[in-house]
Amino acid sequence: MYNESMEFLLPSIRHDFTGFNALANLCQQTKHCSFEDIKIDLQSADWFDADMCAVLGAICHRLSEEVNNVSLLNLSPKISGVLSRNGFLRHFGKEKVADQFGTAIAYRRFQTADEGLFARYVEEELVDRDEIPQMSKKLAARFMQSIYEIFNNAVLHSRTEHGIFSCGQFYPTRKRISFLVADLGIGIHQCVRENTDLRLSPVEAIDWATKEHNTTKASTPGGLGLPLLTEFADLNGGKIRIVSDSGYWARVGKKTFARPLNAVFSGAVVYLEINTEDNSKYVLESEG
Amino acid sequence: MSNLTISVFEAVGGGLCVASGDGEKVYKRLSKALTKALEDGHQVVISFRNVELLTSAFLNSAIGQLYGQYSEADIRRALQVKDLQEEDIRLLKRVVENAKFYYENPQRYNRTHKQVREEYS
Repeated sequence: MYNESMEFLLPSIRHDFTGFNALANLCQQTKHCSFEDIKIDLQSADWFDADMCAVLGAICHRLSEEVNNVSLLNLSPKISGVLSRNGFLRHFGKEKVADQFGTAIAYRRFQTADEGLFARYVEEELVDRDEIPQMSKKLAARFMQSIYEIFNNAVLHSRTEHGIFSCGQFYPTRKRISFLVADLGIGIHQCVRENTDLRLSPVEAIDWATKEHNTTKASTPGGLGLPLLTEFADLNGGKIRIVSDSGYWARVGKKTFARPLNAVFSGAVVYLEINTEDNSKYVLESEG
Repeated sequence: MSNLTISVFEAVGGGLCVASGDGEKVYKRLSKALTKALEDGHQVVISFRNVELLTSAFLNSAIGQLYGQYSEADIRRALQVKDLQEEDIRLLKRVVENAKFYYENPQRYNRTHKQVREEYS
């Protein structure tokens, strides 16, 4: 049934420029694959950041929808452990392994109409868990608010037909929680191009979307979600990374780093990392 | 008719007021109520009692949209906001300012384009 076998070698995947670039390359190279046997080989990878499962999962899901046979090969025991604990490998026929460290935030796929299911997932994975560190009430509320803003962005703008993918990870030693949402929609660049008269590069389009008042919504106000997210990360000492089309945009230490990827990710990814120990000094601009 | 109170919790069906679609439910009620209140000279009270979490996406739909339908003066006269936490009041103010900017600046894309180009040049 399958035409031929295609093999793609993935390096170690971390939630940084290099990791996103590698997955964008996989996305681009497999974009037109159909009825093919696709093997994603991780023999040269010694690490895979758990939250990046949402990006790999999005790519693999699209490939499966295009009736490809997708398999992951040569996973090291360490990577296999990470991808089993958050349930990612269940999509490849493996059993979920108990999360003995209590640090995994499950990999999940949603449809745009699944706002209720997403809310339940957030409750289960980030609220009703003893392993998640105690955060100040305002920090916890603002973190939740940010996660919903990210999900809403995908619902409102992506026009995805393949779903919205999310995953996260708790890093107890570093006192950090990461959360990532990926979609396979039209992407920020195309959204800006179709809904405004702006002609921006993919990097510029992401930067534009993070500025207050900038929105592609034609009939209702918008354009606050990403600016609020940026403010939150700045105040909390957190990080944001956004990838869409060939654009990569990061906000770290109140500074913006933006540059093009060398391949196109067909959709959008928003990564948020927060500092959970930001307890006593935590005061938002809106709370000052 | 006396003043009408719209419960956000009741309209949404819970305290998690985060989805734009749920904001739309509140907007539909508010819109009907405000039109009638402006005719009759009454007030509409929007109560956020028991609301646990709000997002800008929800408030844009629920309240921001009103600024495209009614004048600011009419909204100020006929709509009263109640039971909102202090940090959410600040978020609502931000949403309202953003909505006013949105409806007052139909040519905003051209201006923003220029700003973006200047930043990258």
